[in-house]
Amino acid sequence: MTAHVALDANLHKHLKLNSAKVEEMGADLHMIPVVVSEFMKLVVQFPILFTKHADTGAFTCICLTGFEEGENLFWQNAEFDALYIPLNVSRHPFFVGSDDTQNNDYVICFDTDSQILNTEEGDAIFNADGSASPVLVNAQEQLSELLIGEKQTSAFIEVLLALDLLVPLALEITLASGESKTIKGLYSIDEDKLNALNEHQLVQLQANGYLQAAYTQVASLGQIYGLIQKKNQRDSAPNPWMQQ
Amino acid sequence: MTESIKHIVVVGGGTAGWLTAGRIAAEHKENQAIQVTLVESPNVPIVGVGEGTWPTMRSTLIKLGIREDDFINQCDVSFKQGAKFAKWSKNIEEDFYYHPLVLPQGFSKVNLVPHWQQQGVSQSFSDAVCFQEALCEKGLAPKTIRNPQYGAVANYAYHLNAGKFSQFLQKHCTSNLRVKHVLADVRSVTENELGDIAHVTTEQAGDIAGDLFIDCSGFSALLIGKHYQIPFNSCNDVLFVDNALAVQVPYEQEDDPIASHTISTAQQAGWIWDIGLQHRRGIGHVYSSAFTSEDQAYADLSRYIGRNIDDLSVKKISFDSGYRDKFWHRNCVAVGLAAGFVEPLEASSLVLVELSAQMIAEQLPACRSVMDIIAKRFNDTFTYRWLRIVDFLKLHYVPSQREEAFWQENRAAHSIPESLKELMHLWRYHPPYDHDFTSNNEVFPAASYQYVLYGMGFKTDLSLYRTNDAEMALAKEQFHLNKMNIAKAVDMLPTNRELINKIKAFGLQAI
Repeated sequence: MTAHVALDANLHKHLKLNSAKVEEMGADLHMIPVVVSEFMKLVVQFPILFTKHADTGAFTCICLTGFEEGENLFWQNAEFDALYIPLNVSRHPFFVGSDDTQNNDYVICFDTDSQILNTEEGDAIFNADGSASPVLVNAQEQLSELLIGEKQTSAFIEVLLALDLLVPLALEITLASGESKTIKGLYSIDEDKLNALNEHQLVQLQANGYLQAAYTQVASLGQIYGLIQKKNQRDSAPNPWMQQ
Repeated sequence: MTESIKHIVVVGGGTAGWLTAGRIAAEHKENQAIQVTLVESPNVPIVGVGEGTWPTMRSTLIKLGIREDDFINQCDVSFKQGAKFAKWSKNIEEDFYYHPLVLPQGFSKVNLVPHWQQQGVSQSFSDAVCFQEALCEKGLAPKTIRNPQYGAVANYAYHLNAGKFSQFLQKHCTSNLRVKHVLADVRSVTENELGDIAHVTTEQAGDIAGDLFIDCSGFSALLIGKHYQIPFNSCNDVLFVDNALAVQVPYEQEDDPIASHTISTAQQAGWIWDIGLQHRRGIGHVYSSAFTSEDQAYADLSRYIGRNIDDLSVKKISFDSGYRDKFWHRNCVAVGLAAGFVEPLEASSLVLVELSAQMIAEQLPACRSVMDIIAKRFNDTFTYRWLRIVDFLKLHYVPSQREEAFWQENRAAHSIPESLKELMHLWRYHPPYDHDFTSNNEVFPAASYQYVLYGMGFKTDLSLYRTNDAEMALAKEQFHLNKMNIAKAVDMLPTNRELINKIKAFGLQAI
């Protein structure tokens, strides 16, 4: 049974984190939720887009890593072959939970089922004196960036919606095989609408650093071609069995 | 005569009044010279049993500038995907058919009726050609939380709380559309030298003058009936029901499923409507007083609900079926119950309000001298529409095999309009299709006639029907596509209740 428990220096002092297994968590994701503070790192390789949450219909921000469910085109030879791994992958196996007993403070939780944490292999997460090891300190920083980032990203999306900047993206791609695919349910900032904002609206966007984020998202659309190229390469890669 | 039409006075504050006032005000929002005033009696309650709409309500609400999630949250709204008619053909439990809101698969390419009939009609027509029946049978919603406002997976209309809807529209029209609201009882009407209405005199607010008066005063028809004495064309000889007993039944559990269609169940001398809103069902027995008594109708209603209903407040409404000889006379036009009423079998009441409001708003006469031309056009259009609606409602009765006197009399030749007789004769050899309905003002598409006719067990004689291989292949493909669409939609759609709960929690996106 999967259980989510709060990390505790006493109960979990022997746990080790096997970092080799962390990136595996993204192996079959074709979209990964991202936050605004990651945009500058993501834009180097990933298309950044918006989609709607299946349960709430609310817009969320994602980077696209594949064209169909279960396909991460960055997952090659058993590794996440990218210059930057999105926080929502690298944070594993930890996530933020709220502690109901203490004024809803945030606590670090983990999944007891996760193979990443074990007592044999990897780096200790607590020092001998019970303090956080560098591994845990790094995790705390990532979770804190995500927590703040999620709020910022919601606020960013709210401004985009208020300014009517988001439009559905009709993503039609044609692969080298001649097969064409239509990917539905994705949204982007409309470049023309962004360029047509008046002075007052631009100031509104700039105030929280959203203007740069908006242009970064638009610029990232070019990475869709990079992703198509990855897809074509994967499709044309010879089957190892037949390789000479 | 060449003075522009500036001041429009709507008399009556039910759904008809507010929809009409709002539609005109929204259309002319930019034109500051045009003022809409709505006069509403503080003493006359609205009839308020009109709770089923057509999909047209979506475009009407968009025109009014209303957010769909606000409307859903504030008017107890649920989604409606058509109507299920139970026991209309035969008085047995297994007998039912659907009149959905989605056209038969590939309707513009091929008429599926002959191909369905040749398959041996083992599967109902509506289920074989349209994916919506499966959604209704499973209580599924027509869209998901990811669809934007007014966006759909399957075409849909609404079930709504008419009382709350009037209040909601009132607030929207007065706060956002500059409609002036006057609470006063109209006591008399004064004409000018031409015979137009110059002003109405109210008890509380004195005289209210206007260039165009819209009579939305309900059954009392203060302007078109009481004042102008425009005759009422009764169609009681075609449509026999003349009374309704309406009741509101709360759900037993807060999260009981909400039916995603109107359920109409035939009775010995009429039928019962059943409309699921968020917190209650609105149920009513429409019956003919010539064929049953009020006590019996009450007992039948109670039996349908499955319990004693003496603790509930049962509202009785008596009505004549029919419509005005003309709707627009001089500078007065009637909309809603003042214009006419027929049994709510196909929820025609609100859609006629919307269509009337649309035509008045879009063709608002520039000045008095052209008003009679628009009025004539309006009268021709709506007379045609009423005639078609009466024919279409009668179609629900004529093919029935039920044996009670009410049903037998419904099949008597003298009670069937000539226009319908002619079509039904044609359909004995030709299945209904678009070429049967060529006016720009049709209310129901040919597909609706197909759903009802073949749902009722009607058979077209196909011995003289000509088809070909290409058409047969096309038809086969459509039946297959319909099966695929059913599987796809059933897989992705939440239940009606689930979606409504989500909309209340999260709202709907604009895009």
